[in-house]
Amino acid sequence: MITAAALCPSPPLLHPTLTGREAVVPELRAACARAVSWLLRDDPGEIAVVGPAVATGEWDAAGRLDPAAFAPGPDHPAAFAPGVGGPRTRSAPLPLSLGLGALLLDRAGYRGRRRLLAVGQDEPASTCAGLGARLGERPGRIALLVMGDGSARRSLKAPGYLDPRAAGFDAEVERAVRAGDLDSLLRLDQDLARELMATGRAPWQVLAGAMRELAPVAEVRYRGDPFGVAYLVACLQPRAGPAGTGAGPGRPGPGSVVE
Amino acid sequence: MSEQRDLRLGRQVFRPEQLLVMAIVNRTPDSFYRPGLTWDPAAALDRVHAVVAEGADIVDVGGVPARPGDDVDAAEEIRRTVPFTAAVRDSYPDLVISVDTWRHEVGREACAAGADLLNDSWGGWDPRLAEVAAEFGAGIVCSHAGGLPPRTRPFRVAYDDVVRDVLAGTLSLAARAVAAGVEPARILIDPAHDFGKNTWHSLQVTRRLAEMAATGWPVLVSMSNKDFIGETLDVPVDERLAGTLAVTAVSAWLGARVFRAHQVRETRQVLNTVSVIRGDLPPARVVRGLA
Repeated sequence: MITAAALCPSPPLLHPTLTGREAVVPELRAACARAVSWLLRDDPGEIAVVGPAVATGEWDAAGRLDPAAFAPGPDHPAAFAPGVGGPRTRSAPLPLSLGLGALLLDRAGYRGRRRLLAVGQDEPASTCAGLGARLGERPGRIALLVMGDGSARRSLKAPGYLDPRAAGFDAEVERAVRAGDLDSLLRLDQDLARELMATGRAPWQVLAGAMRELAPVAEVRYRGDPFGVAYLVACLQPRAGPAGTGAGPGRPGPGSVVE
Repeated sequence: MSEQRDLRLGRQVFRPEQLLVMAIVNRTPDSFYRPGLTWDPAAALDRVHAVVAEGADIVDVGGVPARPGDDVDAAEEIRRTVPFTAAVRDSYPDLVISVDTWRHEVGREACAAGADLLNDSWGGWDPRLAEVAAEFGAGIVCSHAGGLPPRTRPFRVAYDDVVRDVLAGTLSLAARAVAAGVEPARILIDPAHDFGKNTWHSLQVTRRLAEMAATGWPVLVSMSNKDFIGETLDVPVDERLAGTLAVTAVSAWLGARVFRAHQVRETRQVLNTVSVIRGDLPPARVVRGLA
């Protein structure tokens, strides 16, 4: 049973040691942290992190991101560089999205059960929905942390340069999330999403498969594209689920919503 | 090979990985770089405000040009540097103030006015200077001038091995300073580029600077706009910034910790870049490719 879900983007710059001395989009980091705290608020039995990757598969729950992949550092131990002195794990480093999800859980102090589920970026909607449905059928109280981003082609300076279709694609995603209209997420065009470099398409469709029967209510905690990539932070919970109190996912804290 | 240790100057403690800019503030009408720029006391104090804003960790107040010229006796040197040192101290209680002098009489007055460091560019010509540093709890720079008297130019100088001579000279001065009672954490060594050296010697000292750093003493380098850079590039004194910054970067990479400089902002940027490459300092702000 899915009790709640939080959506967070997965840019490397969420990792606090990758961006240097200056905090970069602190309001985005804060919104993600608050969304994850909200997710943990009534003690789910398990957190499933769902994020895009090259291939579908489950990763070792003890895995972590290897920041050195993004910021290799010198090899002397006193260095401040982020590639050095990070958490050591025997597991293979996680894909970016799962690694950031694991980081958010760590930083929220979560020590409970976690599953780390990669969904291949080329999986069709039906496969994604099936993955989600199986998650929802599992016994126990499961909260989802869904990692993924909108288009990376929203401006001339965006990583993927400007694509005029980007704004419409991202607006539709946001509308669907706000409305709890998860069926619309299942209808996102896979080819367009790939062309727009929108990594969130597949994990959002997993979310849709997991929660579409629950008619969720949603609250957007952050939306913005400070670097030409659409970032969306949102909280969803079933309209009348076991965790449902009738209240929405709660008002966002000050400064966490960019609307 | 000895580890670098903390450097103490004034009330401040600098860790081994910190790279420090020592800004030159000349109280002279006739120094080689922009002569007379800060001869006027108000202009000199403005220069201090500017270099502090640009990231200087230390100011180095000098009253006598290194090159030969009109005689400047101790009384005149004191008149040029000491009231100014006191004025800087009034404005900046915590700023590290260095006074560039070889004379113990000047050093005494400067320390009494608030100087934290005596920058002896002339290789311990006046042995009592270290005693003054000890008496006031100040630091001292032990440099290598190849035995030349102050304000003289090298003439056909030759060394079997200039780096060995630099090491022998600076280490013996450091030992002398320790024996005189100077706190070891307040002693620096300086190869003194161009002092008692031709351009080849200064280049060799630069190339082998790691040998100085390996002694464990913090290394100060003073090469800003100097002749060995001018001869390396065949450029006049006002076109030596690029060369100066190149030597700054190489010296930092090889272990120098204090950089005496005219152009503070540029030097600070070079040193920060080196620190970031080394991993001693995170970059200022990183977003490229991470969005």
